[in-house]
Order: sequence, then structure tokens, then C-alpha cells
Amino acid sequence: MIRDTEPTGMSARGDLLITRMFDAPRELVWQAWTDPKHFKRWWGPKDYTCPVCEMDFRVGGKYLNCMRSPKGKDYWSTGVFREIILMERIVFTDCFADEQGNAVPATYYGMSADFPLEMLVTVTFEESGNGTRLTLKHEGLPGGSEGEGAGQGWNQSFDKLAESLK
Amino acid sequence: MRRDVFQAIADPNRRAIIGLLSNQKLTLSDVAEHFAISRPAVSKHIKILAESGLVVVRQKGRQRYCEARLEKLNEVSEWVQQNQKQWKERLDRLDEYLTELQSAA
Repeated sequence: MIRDTEPTGMSARGDLLITRMFDAPRELVWQAWTDPKHFKRWWGPKDYTCPVCEMDFRVGGKYLNCMRSPKGKDYWSTGVFREIILMERIVFTDCFADEQGNAVPATYYGMSADFPLEMLVTVTFEESGNGTRLTLKHEGLPGGSEGEGAGQGWNQSFDKLAESLK
Repeated sequence: MRRDVFQAIADPNRRAIIGLLSNQKLTLSDVAEHFAISRPAVSKHIKILAESGLVVVRQKGRQRYCEARLEKLNEVSEWVQQNQKQWKERLDRLDEYLTELQSAA
């Protein structure tokens, strides 16, 4: 039993916040993320390849990526770009998919049924000295028809994120 | 419908309810007293928490007792850790790729 655990706060909500400095100009980091030709060169964990990356890079546009494990197993993911601010910010949804681009639950790839079906990823690009600070926020979107906690709440967290980056 | 832990903790009131129940068993009325929202609203939140397995409700006489099952939150930390590892590995590769791009230029 973990009686002492404080259940509120960022991690308890399933949010993930990662900040990383890159020794490269912001323009190049932005390009590496938004141009499929570049994106395919780094997407996925070590020793994985990215044989497919299709991006309709505009608000409301979809993407479909494939990540191939060293053993040749393919993991497809898809989502929609929700917000694009040139050189500054990309917000997109992220979910597992089959190779036709249909969203599938995590169980499709043998993962826990309790994982959220859809995630929201916010990537922020910031100039810092000669380099670039990239901040990545990853959060589970609440599922269900009622959409409780969605909308306003998430927007507020984005505002907070933006604020913290000023 | 199916409720998962992530959905359960997406709402600030429900997070507050879990916090309240984390070190004590309380009746539904006790829980409701701590909130400005209506009792039916609290009741609905408890129902969602119960469906996700984070709270167990037991009828004892005329009272309903609510108890938190915090071990269910492990699913959240497991998920966060898994994602953290994945993103770290991706960003490591992005870093390598950016270095490669710049040395080629």
C-alpha cells in the first residue's frame, strides 16, 4: 500500500513534462520535427527505424508514422495537429494506429488496456543562447462521451506552460 | 461504459476527493461536506472513481463508506515512466541527428 502518496499534481494526472537543450539553431530543430524527410531520421527509440512518415502539416491535418523495432515489428501512430505556431509551438494528438491509420487501443500492441486511447503532445521551441530549448508536454486525454476535464482545463495547462516558458 | 484511472483523475474535484480519502475512510455525506459542489455532483464523482477502481464504496446500515484504493494510481506512474523513457530515447536521437546535420553542413 502506498498510503503516503500525494495523489494530486502533475505526475498523478499522467502528465509528462520534458525539457531538453539542443546545440542547434531553432530553425533547424523546427525543421527536424516538421519535415518528414528529417523526422524519419530520428523518430523512435535507439535502433528503431521510421520507414513511414506522412504529415499533413496544418491545423486539422493528420499524420501517420511507423516505428519499426530491430526485430521488425511495426508500431503505427496517428493524430491530428491541433495548433501550429511557426517556429514556436506544435500541439498534436497522439494515438496508436493500425497501418491504415485507424486509431486502436494500446492492447492492439499488447499494452495495458488502462492506457488512455488518446494523448495530447505539446512541443515548444525556444531560442536559448546559440541553441534551442525544447519543452515537451505529454498528457493523457480523458476519454468517454462526457469529456469531463477536457477543454477548459487543458487549455489552462497550456497557458501555464506558455507562461512558464516566458 | 468503461472508466479508466486517467479519466478518473482528469477532474480536479475527483483528485481532491482522492486526496481526502487517502488517509481516512469517510461516508458519502462526510465527503460532500468538504465540497462546495452539490451532493449529487459529489455522488457522481464518487461513482466515476468507483468505476475506475480508485474508490471502493461499502454500504453499512444506512451509510455508504468510501475508501481509496491508491494502488490503482501505480498504473499512472507506470504509464508516465514508460512514456518518459520513450521520449528520452527519441530526443537523444534527435540530438544525434542535429549534430550530424550540422557537421555535414
